[in-house]
Amino acid sequence: MAIEYRPPAERELETIDINVNVGPQHPATHGVFRMVLTVDGEQVVDCDPVIGYLHRGAEKLSENCDYRQCIGFQDRTEYLAQFNAELSYVLAVEKLAGIQVPERAEYIRVILAELNRITSHHMFMGSFGSDVGLYGTSFMYAFRDRELVLDLFEEITGERMMYSYFRPGGLAWDVPENFRERCRQVADAARRGVEDIDGLLTENEVVLERCRGLSPVTPEDAINWGLTGPMLRATGLKHDLRRAEPYSIYDRFDFDIPTGAQGDVYDRYRVRLEEMRQSARIIDQALDQMPTKGPIMAGGMKRILRVPPGEVYMRTEAPRGEYGVYIVSKGGEKPYRLKIRAAAFSNLSALRNMVVGNYLADAVIILGSIDIVLSEVDR
Amino acid sequence: MAHERAQEVALPEPPSGSIADSFRKALPDVEFQASQTAMDVALAVRREDLLRVMQTAKEHERLAFDFLRCLSGVDHMDGLEVVYQLYAYRLGHSVAIKVRFPYEDPHVPTVSHLWQTANWHEREAHEMFGIVFDGHPDLRPLLTEEGLGYYALRKSHPLAEIEDWQESYLVAVEQAAAQTAAASGETAPSAASDERAAKIALAQKKAAITKQVREEAKAKGLSPEEERKAVTEALKALDEEGKGE
Repeated sequence: MAIEYRPPAERELETIDINVNVGPQHPATHGVFRMVLTVDGEQVVDCDPVIGYLHRGAEKLSENCDYRQCIGFQDRTEYLAQFNAELSYVLAVEKLAGIQVPERAEYIRVILAELNRITSHHMFMGSFGSDVGLYGTSFMYAFRDRELVLDLFEEITGERMMYSYFRPGGLAWDVPENFRERCRQVADAARRGVEDIDGLLTENEVVLERCRGLSPVTPEDAINWGLTGPMLRATGLKHDLRRAEPYSIYDRFDFDIPTGAQGDVYDRYRVRLEEMRQSARIIDQALDQMPTKGPIMAGGMKRILRVPPGEVYMRTEAPRGEYGVYIVSKGGEKPYRLKIRAAAFSNLSALRNMVVGNYLADAVIILGSIDIVLSEVDR
Repeated sequence: MAHERAQEVALPEPPSGSIADSFRKALPDVEFQASQTAMDVALAVRREDLLRVMQTAKEHERLAFDFLRCLSGVDHMDGLEVVYQLYAYRLGHSVAIKVRFPYEDPHVPTVSHLWQTANWHEREAHEMFGIVFDGHPDLRPLLTEEGLGYYALRKSHPLAEIEDWQESYLVAVEQAAAQTAAASGETAPSAASDERAAKIALAQKKAAITKQVREEAKAKGLSPEEERKAVTEALKALDEEGKGE
């Protein structure tokens, strides 16, 4: 006998918002991050990011170390783009102390920083793929090429992760003799690898369905929320510090600034993918222009660097955006105050604005698209 | 503290035609102290004028600073300072705005309603320096736990010495050891635990002396350098006393 369907009583069903705690451990985040989401059914109505689990006080420690020792903290702050962080710091010290860096050192720095940008984006591609739901494959593709670059870094610096290779005034020691050939080798491998990742993700049905139109951001909002780097360029604003305020020798290279159209998650991915190609272009040009012989350290450097009083806010375009180092010097061998403006910190602070109104399942993709490094967020 | 008490060094004046002039033109009644840092022009303003200056910086069409790059607190040892790094995307210029105020009255108006990105930066400056941003929507600590009781990035906070939480930890260790001893029915503690107890007692004594000397020094108004010296001397005296026994 068929049962007749009876609608529920006249009154609406009562619903309540539920708090969902995501983290502190989550496989999609490298590092430890927690967010408290308030959900109404499947929809996120509020988000409270909780950070600080990796806070080590790098700024306070830097105040008690001399200018050379501080380099190590930069590696540990931004552990996926160490050369970019070191570059920002050494440029800040050089600006303060008025040190002129030899040509060859500048080229080596730029090459390594751009290679590091590629490896950092590799990490993003890998974790982004698994955030979206393509477990494993994208990680395998990205890490296959990332390993090659890390091998090169290891040959040069002796370390896979904490390089401490740049110094105020130049480099710690010279690169191996086969530097040029090895760089071309890994840059070519990276370029081929980018095509693989492109083929896997860009037209992927899952990626298209889940990421297109997800949490679009307008340029005005992006600026107001403090987004920088690929997050900002995805909104369509063509701004890159390497072009807008050229530092080091970036004015000598020809490269495009990729931009998105809507600022959604898909655009953020596309911008990063294209940036990897552009970095390879910069590396090629730098290798062509680089002098074969020459000093790698500025002349007349003392064993202990003393910096005259003054202050500087040096910013560079790191893979995650504007990495700024603010140093106040009152003379002497230690910085009086060192503040790190971490790109991921500012990008993450806009998480609430981007997540609210979306589905719970998409919150993780949005978080992944910010490409956070928690040690940089917490310092 | 490794740093001597801040000796102020005057930075050079910026060249004419710099952004400082645009600010002076836009706000003729505000007093700006301009200086040239290694990269940007820095403008020191009085706290009363800060909110007006920031509003004008954002909304004036010749200034148009739509992006707050960085906000940092600085402890100058004769007062606190907040430094705002601003950038204008459309015009491509940048400036640093500084505001200084005494320890006793660490209040500044918030700018988080002008630039949303200031929200977390101000929370960080609040927990690290104890600067209160008036009008901020949510001044909870960001990176550290709540109720920490000290401001880690102030120069008066030591980097590595026995701190209060370590002291209480030692007490807890001692109590736990006493409990296990009582539970196992041991009356005479073994030589190993005796040694440990002595070490704990020594550490506690040192912590107490450090705290006492520091408080005395603060009451006398000594500089951090002298304070540190006094602590080292007191600890040395304790060591010699121990050897004498």
